[in-house]
Amino acid sequence: MARATLDRLTYRYPGAHAPSLLDVTLRIDGGLTVVAGPSGGGKSTLLRVFNGLVPHFHGGQISGNAEVAGRSILDTPTRILARSVGFVFQDPELQTVYATVDREVAFGLENAAVPGPEIPRRVEEALDEAGAGHLAGRLTSTLSGGERQRVALASALAMKPQLVVLDEPTSQLDPEGAELVLAAARRVVAQGRAVIVSEHRLQALMGAADQLVTVEEGRASTSDPRDWRAPRFSVPPPRSIPAGSEVIRASGAAAGFDGRPVLEHVDVAVRGGEVVALMGPNGGGKTTLLRLLAGLLPARAGSVERLAGRIAYLPQNPAALLHRPTVRAEVRFTIDRSGEREDSALILAELGLLDVAERYPRDLSSGERQRAAVAAVLPGLPRLVLLDEPTRGMDAGARDALVGLIARLRDRGSAIVIATHDAELRAAVADRVLTVAGGKVAAAVDEAVHR
Amino acid sequence: MAAWSAACLFIALFTTNPAYKASVLAAALIALVAGAGLRRIRKLLYAIAIVAAFASLLNFVSAHLGDTVLFSLPASIPGLGGPFTLEALVFGLTGGLTIGAAILAAAPFSVLLSAHDVVDALPRVLSRSGAAIAASLNLVPAVGATFVQVSEAQRMRGWRPRGPRSWAEVVVPVVLTSVESSIQLAESMEARGFGSGPRTYVKPASMQRADWLVTATAAAAVALFGISTAAGWAAPWYAYPTLTLPQVDVRPLIACLLLCAPVLVWRARR
Repeated sequence: MARATLDRLTYRYPGAHAPSLLDVTLRIDGGLTVVAGPSGGGKSTLLRVFNGLVPHFHGGQISGNAEVAGRSILDTPTRILARSVGFVFQDPELQTVYATVDREVAFGLENAAVPGPEIPRRVEEALDEAGAGHLAGRLTSTLSGGERQRVALASALAMKPQLVVLDEPTSQLDPEGAELVLAAARRVVAQGRAVIVSEHRLQALMGAADQLVTVEEGRASTSDPRDWRAPRFSVPPPRSIPAGSEVIRASGAAAGFDGRPVLEHVDVAVRGGEVVALMGPNGGGKTTLLRLLAGLLPARAGSVERLAGRIAYLPQNPAALLHRPTVRAEVRFTIDRSGEREDSALILAELGLLDVAERYPRDLSSGERQRAAVAAVLPGLPRLVLLDEPTRGMDAGARDALVGLIARLRDRGSAIVIATHDAELRAAVADRVLTVAGGKVAAAVDEAVHR
Repeated sequence: MAAWSAACLFIALFTTNPAYKASVLAAALIALVAGAGLRRIRKLLYAIAIVAAFASLLNFVSAHLGDTVLFSLPASIPGLGGPFTLEALVFGLTGGLTIGAAILAAAPFSVLLSAHDVVDALPRVLSRSGAAIAASLNLVPAVGATFVQVSEAQRMRGWRPRGPRSWAEVVVPVVLTSVESSIQLAESMEARGFGSGPRTYVKPASMQRADWLVTATAAAAVALFGISTAAGWAAPWYAYPTLTLPQVDVRPLIACLLLCAPVLVWRARR
């Protein structure tokens, strides 16, 4: 018996001109279903159908039929479907209700009126299942992104749902955190339940996938994952000029915030026309190093010297800075205030955003928002470019475009520092890779890049 | 804890006798130090000292009553002119004692408990509201983090704070992000079955033996002090017109000392 079926489902968000899902017919049996496709194609909307968030939470117009665990999705509220469908969202920060891990995992069980004495055992089992048994009793505010995501997964598993839906669960995680979440998903599949995962980084998933669903422009098609071939990322054009003089140098620098030391004895220098990548675990200090280099954090010891010139900084959650009425206006905002002389259309075209240039940026999909934020901070020719996880939520095409943009800025003399978990991005653009972990910065031993 | 706080407040506000007010303040201070440690409440003590000193001074300069005149200012000075008396100064100090005792009585709720503990202790009928409040509390630090992130990012895009209108370029994205975060949290709660029917509790808030001990001693303190007042053992005190020493009886004093009982229990919370 199918765990879920969608039959000729068409859905349009309130106020939208075009449907986000168009005539979708799908059957989900047990095993692992991977949902792939370009940003803005309708993946997140499709996932939200399985627990009824679309249409019950978001409103809009829907037609066709949809069933999960023998219930009609269109006639059953999400809060009831929650007993059969566990859902883990992209952002682990925004799905935490309680202050402690145990209470957090118990939240769904309390809502489902599971008898009180039974809840601690179910919580313990779910934490173990998600590889988070050691987090029991911790304050949720002290968890790293990877730990939070595993707690979110445990919260979903505690309900013993027939179907577990994961919406880009690893997009903010370091490789170790991502592997733990995916291992937990594989364990659920091994227990005979069904898992649906939406991801852009498909390499690690496809070996275990039973079904591949590709969603593009609202239409879904299924295929055999064995036929899937890893996309080849474009290689940027070779460097046209040699790296120039030092743009920034941190010497014996220390940094931290909220009275807490994070980095010590940092010695980093970056030259114009050079691309340096930072890797390391969640919470290791990559963002703190970028903020130190940007001058947003003072050096508690040592010094940071920069050449005069504009600094472009893409923060970890860049969508937060979007506030203008259109994507084009976001780009113009930076051009006008930084005294650059560049047509906004140049970077919009380079990042494939001309089609959405006149749209409100917060109405875009998460991947498109990410591109809009990159466009908003990188017009013109900054002297120093600091990017914090720039490929988060980006599909392969958008990542290729970003690689091209980074190469262009490099060749025009910008010094570029990128904090990223994305090994493919590092391989494509980095001249050097530094590891930031445990408060120290060191050259990466196993990922030296030579050009 | 609520019973203990209520007992402290009852005695400190009910009596006019500074000896008993000081006893309540001392008992609350001892209990709080036992539960939280002196270091954690040092700033609170400084704040209480400043508020109490201000209250005393205010009464001293504004109440020109009492027989023991320390000095006088010409009556022609508006608001300040007139005699400054020892009685007004001492009565102001008792006001400071009352404020200090009241703040220390309420302090354990913020010092020893997290906001989530307080929410968890709500009655079952308020369980759903309590969960919603707990979720909202989790958003508060996120809003602060967003403000820092947005103001930094806008600064790097060339934004500078030039007058109130320029702040819109920081405040608008912070507000929009906060609203989006709230919607995402609501979506997450819905997806986890919030509001689907009657809820159960992972750990029903039940009274432990230690909690019963604190509650019982607090009730005994209130009862004994009430009886002492009715029987005339807890004599009232008036600063005016002539200052006298407050009368102290051992029975109401014992009632105040009973408020030290949390020392036996709260030390375990540290």
